[in-house]
Amino acid sequence: MKKIINDPNRVVSDMLRGLAVANPDVEYFPEAEVVALKEKSGKVGLITGGGSGHEPSFAGYVGKGMLTAAIAGNVFASPSPDRIIKGFEAADSGKGVLAVIMNYSGDLMNFDMAKEMVEMEGIETRIVIVKDDVAVPDREDSTGRRGIAGTVLVHKVAGAKAAAGASLEEVAAVAQKAADNVRTMGMSMSSCTIPAVGKPGFSLGENEIEIGMGIHGEPGLERTGVKTAKELASALIERILADYDYSGSQVAVLVNGLGATPLMELNILTGEVDDLLKEKGITPYRYFVGNYMTSLEMAGCSITLMKLDDELKELIDAPCEAPSFRI
Amino acid sequence: MKMTSKDYVAYLKIVAKKLEENKDYITELDAATGDGDHWANMNMGFVKLMELSPELETLAIPDLFKKIAMTMMSVIGGSAGVLYGSAYMKAAAVSQGAESIDLDLLAKIVQAQLDGIMSRGKAQPGFKTMVDSLYQAQQRMEEAMKAGKSEKEVLTAMKEGAVAGMEATANMEAMRGRACYQADKGVGHLDPGAVTMCYQLETLADFLLQ
Repeated sequence: MKKIINDPNRVVSDMLRGLAVANPDVEYFPEAEVVALKEKSGKVGLITGGGSGHEPSFAGYVGKGMLTAAIAGNVFASPSPDRIIKGFEAADSGKGVLAVIMNYSGDLMNFDMAKEMVEMEGIETRIVIVKDDVAVPDREDSTGRRGIAGTVLVHKVAGAKAAAGASLEEVAAVAQKAADNVRTMGMSMSSCTIPAVGKPGFSLGENEIEIGMGIHGEPGLERTGVKTAKELASALIERILADYDYSGSQVAVLVNGLGATPLMELNILTGEVDDLLKEKGITPYRYFVGNYMTSLEMAGCSITLMKLDDELKELIDAPCEAPSFRI
Repeated sequence: MKMTSKDYVAYLKIVAKKLEENKDYITELDAATGDGDHWANMNMGFVKLMELSPELETLAIPDLFKKIAMTMMSVIGGSAGVLYGSAYMKAAAVSQGAESIDLDLLAKIVQAQLDGIMSRGKAQPGFKTMVDSLYQAQQRMEEAMKAGKSEKEVLTAMKEGAVAGMEATANMEAMRGRACYQADKGVGHLDPGAVTMCYQLETLADFLLQ
């Protein structure tokens, strides 16, 4: 294992310490592994949390116009209720706090428990769950579809709504609308190593890629040979369109890297995505290209589409000062 | 039997050691169906408990359980942390006023832990989770007690139940946790959460049988 770390069991604390050094707008609460805006907004707070290893998700999105606080779990593991409680408290300006989280068993249980506890303190809270990964069928009887990169766009629009002074109900409604209209499909080209484990979680052959793999290395739909950027754009977008009909709509497009894929390749993919969307009668309104939701040093990408109405367009374009999401 | 806080900590030490020894096995099981972090997180929790052991030994049983709950919840994190946290909080609630654990209290603790985990995880037996080991252990323990079996037989039944529950997860389709994202729902693989739960129950039975 070759990593720039001091101690595999301290990567989260050490990372957030560094993040706070570089971003004077935020305060880092070491015991809780929470990063929050220093200045109280007087508005609805927006928080999220989840396992670490997906940087800049989520501490990199704490900033005016996006998240008020982010709670970090250990690598790929949900933060615990005590940490989440600190996140709710740090984000509360008296107008309530919305948590927009990803649909994983651990995150759901920990946020539910924390919500029960902070409501006893008198903080009004809502939780919106994002499940955008079309590689997984959505079902009622099990945890169902995962949340992945599309979550970042939901944070963007919900953060903009909160910054505009909307009520908790209104911010939650916009987050839900965004979550309902966002879909993502990804693929991986290599594994990643959890620092505390010390070796890769799975292996892929030299010329093998896996379509639909999750951002924690959960198995995908199929392993195939390496494809061209054009073929890949088509494979991913066809999956998305089979799940949600975006034809005739304007969309925000997120071309996301999983950590080890160069921006050169993401830009090549973006060109192909643009051709394909236009061919399908879908109008790209705004692109976001880069590493937004990563999986440690995994190589690979995901493509996210979010259907935009006038309200979502305005919110996606609204100013944002988060260090990893500037508009 | 009469298990004190000091005994309970001695038991946790054996679990910590057993976990440490099975790093590769658990990690590989989890990598096959999940994301490979279950061992690392559980181990961090038990390492922390071991650091706290001088303090834990001095606590009354309910306070000991509360401290274990908070520690596991905050250090393990993820699903396992909040589930073990819920289990030990319930265990603390049913041990109010107890100075040591006898067989009757142990049965209540196991039942309370099962209830705590099932309600927090909205999980049932058969979902291919840690519940399966605990549920079988609790069922067989209760049957043995109802049948008026000896203490030794009850503890052996508990241990056998834990192992049977764990083994049964191999043929189950996952309904919770990351294994449910697999095309085959993890069928053919043991659930790592059921394995680490089984370690704890097995070790507890062995410790008390000695």
